[in-house]
Amino acid sequence: MPLGTLDRDPPPFFRQGLSALSKLAVFSALAVFLMVADTRFQVMQPVRVALGTLLYPMQWLVMRPVLLAEFGGEYLASLRAVHTAQADAAKSRSLQSQRANQVEQLLLENERLRMLLALRPRLQSDSAAAQVIYDAADPYTRKVVIDKGLADKVALGSPVVDESGVLGQVTRVYPLVSEVTLITDRDHAIPVLNTRTGARGVAFGDTSTHADAMELRYMAANADVAVGDLLTTSGVDGVYPPGLPVAKIENVERRVDTVFARVYLQPVALVSGATHVMVLQPLAAQIPARPPLPTTAPAGKVRKGDAK
Amino acid sequence: MIMRPGQQLLLPANPLFIWGSLAAALSLSMLLNMGVWGRAAWTPDLLAVVLVFWTVHQPLRVSIGAAFVFGLLMDVHQGGLLGQHAMGYTVLSFFAITVHRRLLWFKVPSQAAQVFPLFFAAHLVELVLRLLAGGAFPGWSIFLAPFIESALWPVASVLLLLPQRRPPDPDANRPL
Repeated sequence: MPLGTLDRDPPPFFRQGLSALSKLAVFSALAVFLMVADTRFQVMQPVRVALGTLLYPMQWLVMRPVLLAEFGGEYLASLRAVHTAQADAAKSRSLQSQRANQVEQLLLENERLRMLLALRPRLQSDSAAAQVIYDAADPYTRKVVIDKGLADKVALGSPVVDESGVLGQVTRVYPLVSEVTLITDRDHAIPVLNTRTGARGVAFGDTSTHADAMELRYMAANADVAVGDLLTTSGVDGVYPPGLPVAKIENVERRVDTVFARVYLQPVALVSGATHVMVLQPLAAQIPARPPLPTTAPAGKVRKGDAK
Repeated sequence: MIMRPGQQLLLPANPLFIWGSLAAALSLSMLLNMGVWGRAAWTPDLLAVVLVFWTVHQPLRVSIGAAFVFGLLMDVHQGGLLGQHAMGYTVLSFFAITVHRRLLWFKVPSQAAQVFPLFFAAHLVELVLRLLAGGAFPGWSIFLAPFIESALWPVASVLLLLPQRRPPDPDANRPL
């Protein structure tokens, strides 16, 4: 019989290591520690970044056939489909050009009016284009992964928009990729403004009714909300620039037994199918710091010049 | 080692093949996530199947520690709770160690039926952990995953034992 046919190592009788039960206890405790550190204290990001960097070559390699298939599909798409897409783009461009031409004038007028009233100028945020590479596999949340990370100076908390509206917010940054939590995630909240009435509110993701839906919470049962109202970002949060479309009201349910109305929203952005997105810089960096509170002196002694 | 009568005497397992198959299962599940299914609750966890397979067949090489490390990698890839898959795979691997002496006495279809509770328990552990951590319920289709995984057990038994089923004395007429 040739050598190497049988496993010739004797089984270890004495050097068996820990028993399975104690291993289970040790590793479960470690896993629980990791989970608590991750959710309660948010200190596990360095570990994530290290493991993610280790995993990145594998992900990169696995992405190649996916990208190849996508590219091949696009390459082989029919000429008719391309013509239709081009005609649609031209139509939407001509529709937008009229408004865009007016915007120049409105901007100028707005700037002058603001100067006249001595208001702070509107905040501008820098943006960078990015591409959604895949949906994060975790079925308990709604997240996508984009191809820009720390290397492209993506900041934690940056708003992400697509061509029609807000898509979500960057919640984890890795060296070369970032995770974006979509506005339809259950734990994602976004301050909004009803463009018809000017009322502010907070919209949350909602997966209870159907896949990509949102909910406007804490609206009184007799609040002025109507089906079809457009909600935009209100700009009071220091993250999102004001005026970006977020969602439209799809359905309003007013019940006698509750104080609040249930307002169902439909996101404006193509939440589940977006491919090309823009990452905006969060506004927090441009907002001046909060003035220091007068701590010690009684109210009479604080001079007016102290609060800057 | 006492074996079931009529069972083929296998070649020793190549450690490179074991770790290679685990890495391949991880990248295959990544590929299916990125390219085919995206975010779906019912998708079978191929890595879990391969982990249980090697824990049952080679408990001295692949054990709870390896399961924990692969679970961490899976967590980082999925972007969920860090430690969720690590915990699930640890439990899975512990049960696999517990049943590994008994399981190989059965034929492959009955083995598939017997590993089903293992996969079910692992998914249940992950589901409970995520709901405790405040995740949204992903839908009832998540309970389809253990069924698909135990249906994949015979496939894994054929594919992963192929290198060990080669004849011990290859010659010119029988190179493999």
